Amino acid sequence: MAIERDKITGRNTTGHEWDGIKELDTPIPGSVKWSYGITIIIAIALIALYPAFPYFSGFTPGLLGYSSRAIVEQQVADAASERAERDKVLMASDINDLVTDSAVKEKYEAAAAILYRDNCAVCHQPDLQGKTGFPNLTDGHWLWSGNVEEIETTILYGINSGNDDERIAEMLDFGKQQMLERPEIKDVIEYIRSISGQEHNIKMSDRGDEIFTENCESCHGEQGVGGLESGAPSLVDSAWIYGSDGGALFKSIWSGRVGQMPAWEGRLSKADIRKLALYVKWQSHAGSQ
Amino acid sequence: MDRSSEHLIAIFFVVAIFITGLVIVGMGSDSGYILHGWLILLVAGFGIKFIADRMMDTDTSQALEYNDDIIKLGILACFAWGILGFFIGDWLAWQLAYPDLNGDIAWTNFGRLRPIHTTAVVFGFGGNALMATSFYVVQRTSHARLAGDVTPWLVLGGYNLFVLLAASGYPLGITQGREYAEPEWYADLLLLVVWVAYLIIFLRTLARRTEPHIYVANWYYLAFIVVIAMLHVVNNLAIPASFGDPKSYSLFSGVQDAMTQWWYGHNAVGFLLTAGFLGMLYYFLPKAVNRPVYSYRMSIVSFWGITFLYLWAGSHHLHYTALPDWVQFLGMAMSIILLVPSWASVFNGLLTLNGAWDKVRTDPAVRFMLVAILFYGLSTFEGSFMAIRPVNALSHYTDWTIGHVHAGALGWVAFITFGTMYKLVPWVWKRDGIYSIRLEAWHFWLALSGTLIYVGAMWNSGITQSLMWQTYDSDNNFLYSFMDTVDAMHPYYVARAIGGLLYLIGALIGAYNIYMTVRGPERTKSRGHAEPVIVPGE
Repeated sequence: MAIERDKITGRNTTGHEWDGIKELDTPIPGSVKWSYGITIIIAIALIALYPAFPYFSGFTPGLLGYSSRAIVEQQVADAASERAERDKVLMASDINDLVTDSAVKEKYEAAAAILYRDNCAVCHQPDLQGKTGFPNLTDGHWLWSGNVEEIETTILYGINSGNDDERIAEMLDFGKQQMLERPEIKDVIEYIRSISGQEHNIKMSDRGDEIFTENCESCHGEQGVGGLESGAPSLVDSAWIYGSDGGALFKSIWSGRVGQMPAWEGRLSKADIRKLALYVKWQSHAGSQ
Repeated sequence: MDRSSEHLIAIFFVVAIFITGLVIVGMGSDSGYILHGWLILLVAGFGIKFIADRMMDTDTSQALEYNDDIIKLGILACFAWGILGFFIGDWLAWQLAYPDLNGDIAWTNFGRLRPIHTTAVVFGFGGNALMATSFYVVQRTSHARLAGDVTPWLVLGGYNLFVLLAASGYPLGITQGREYAEPEWYADLLLLVVWVAYLIIFLRTLARRTEPHIYVANWYYLAFIVVIAMLHVVNNLAIPASFGDPKSYSLFSGVQDAMTQWWYGHNAVGFLLTAGFLGMLYYFLPKAVNRPVYSYRMSIVSFWGITFLYLWAGSHHLHYTALPDWVQFLGMAMSIILLVPSWASVFNGLLTLNGAWDKVRTDPAVRFMLVAILFYGLSTFEGSFMAIRPVNALSHYTDWTIGHVHAGALGWVAFITFGTMYKLVPWVWKRDGIYSIRLEAWHFWLALSGTLIYVGAMWNSGITQSLMWQTYDSDNNFLYSFMDTVDAMHPYYVARAIGGLLYLIGALIGAYNIYMTVRGPERTKSRGHAEPVIVPGE
């Protein structure tokens, strides 16, 4: 194919043609050459200044002696010591004193709220009101007393968490283990509904009273007021972890319940756990235990 | 290679694939795996019958014309996968704004649908578009019929079987968990055979070209085929746990595994979604506007720049990770230079329009191509920029990355494909033109507004969330919890889903327009596009 002149650009073609497509012999614009030059210089400078090229047993260290590992180690160490300094007052005082100290509350509440939302809110919800399977933290009804020290223990070691110091609380599967027959469970359910002020069948609940005393009282306490030592919830209040209707109660008694709360020891610092315990206590409506 | 030896080699490989299917069905214990075995048996059985029929056919004469039927099949597959991929993509976008939209079923949760979306758009839509157009371009620019009697069909069929095995495996839990390389070992082996055959027919067709020089579009297609073969083999080196199970274990682990994966991931973008589609641009743009390519020299410097530099740059996906500093800085340095050949391609494309800018106004297909070039320029600038470590500290792990990917995927890859298809479909089906220019223009504006909304929403969302993550009070406590940042994303996620919906509607209109064009009458007058074949296929 012959070289031709393109009228619009005034350039010659290269003389090749493919299926009607031709190419102009336009030289490479200066801007492209310059940009190549500048970016290559930048790249060479980077390679000279920073670790950037391997050889057999290592890599070029670069003129600046840069190491992201050294930088991050320094930053982590600085932050840790700064934090330890800042949180010294938290760890040096008795948590029971801290909880009533308004200066402490003012200083730590906002940061503790972020910690709560980052670590706890997925289960206990951002408003702390919990959801099915996860207790409400604001209603003043506590499984382990609501004392701020006890709250801190729960956060540290968890419930049925596998931690060495875990709290253990298990609702037995009375139905599955054939400790109670189906009609007996139904009677107990009516009894529970009676002591929690719900609609119930009196005849059944009278029978259930006796079964409750024999099987449930050791954990849930006399008349179902709950056992703060065993973590067994009170059955006489309006707070329910798994629901108060007949179906939920039946499932609890038939198959048992083993709620879990992870241990935060080792995952969060002691100071952060303390902040969370204080935060939970501050947010709960019941001021006293 | 003569026709009968081609048949023998082809039947050998298809029978081998058939036997693999038998082994899977016979030894498999996992139901999804067995289903895949049956799929392989079905398609390979069909392939055996197809080759056998051709072997029995005593009439070995072949018309002296281009093999366009294979291109038609590729175009249809491209649109089918595209619509599926866009639909799932937008569904996922709505799920991110309203998580309940997964229907609370395991099958439709984000983790299972997301790889179907990426596989359907990258390999289904993009891969079929590249195969179809590469077959078209290599035949036209070589003046030769596509090499092979049965191989092109086996390549396209085998490739689509691979995509089908991939996409159907994810909801069933069959995945290697390697991003964009999820399919398990048996699908990977199938793709390997298919890909080598693809390379062979492409090279054999090129070898019989009439013009002594190889046209630039073919360089790009060839780079795409060769590099994808290399990436696919290395990244998928794995040992199957047993023939009875789809699970395999990668040869790599730890940071080497991460680096191999991102060397693959980055260059899948570089050579499938960039080089391949640049090949498409270099043929269909000059053809559509009937202008010579602006600068032959610039196509050379940008081709070699892109081909050389992309392969170094994968490590910029792993800034500030356990990857050694030197690998990060090397990747960053190469990424900075990479901007220049990328933008040289942009200007080569734009300046090719000199003398034909009026077509941007009158021809929506050219408008698609122009916007594709602009988005290519935008996303390559963004890519080099985000590869700079301090910028990456802001952008990494945020929605900005998602926005960047979609600026490239929606704005560049799919725009150049749509522009090309509006030209290619009338050419291969021998129609006077597209069914409706009006609908074509509607598709363009819907796709453009969808893309702008999408990318704009993700820029805002990405930068917002990144800044929220890095905001501390005076005591170095976080000012926002992670949950707060998720809440803040909600409006952007809704906007993104709306943008995606516009894009999907545009693509549906496009598919309808293509369908009506195909159904329409053959062209009335002869046009100069299909020049006579000079070299036969066998």
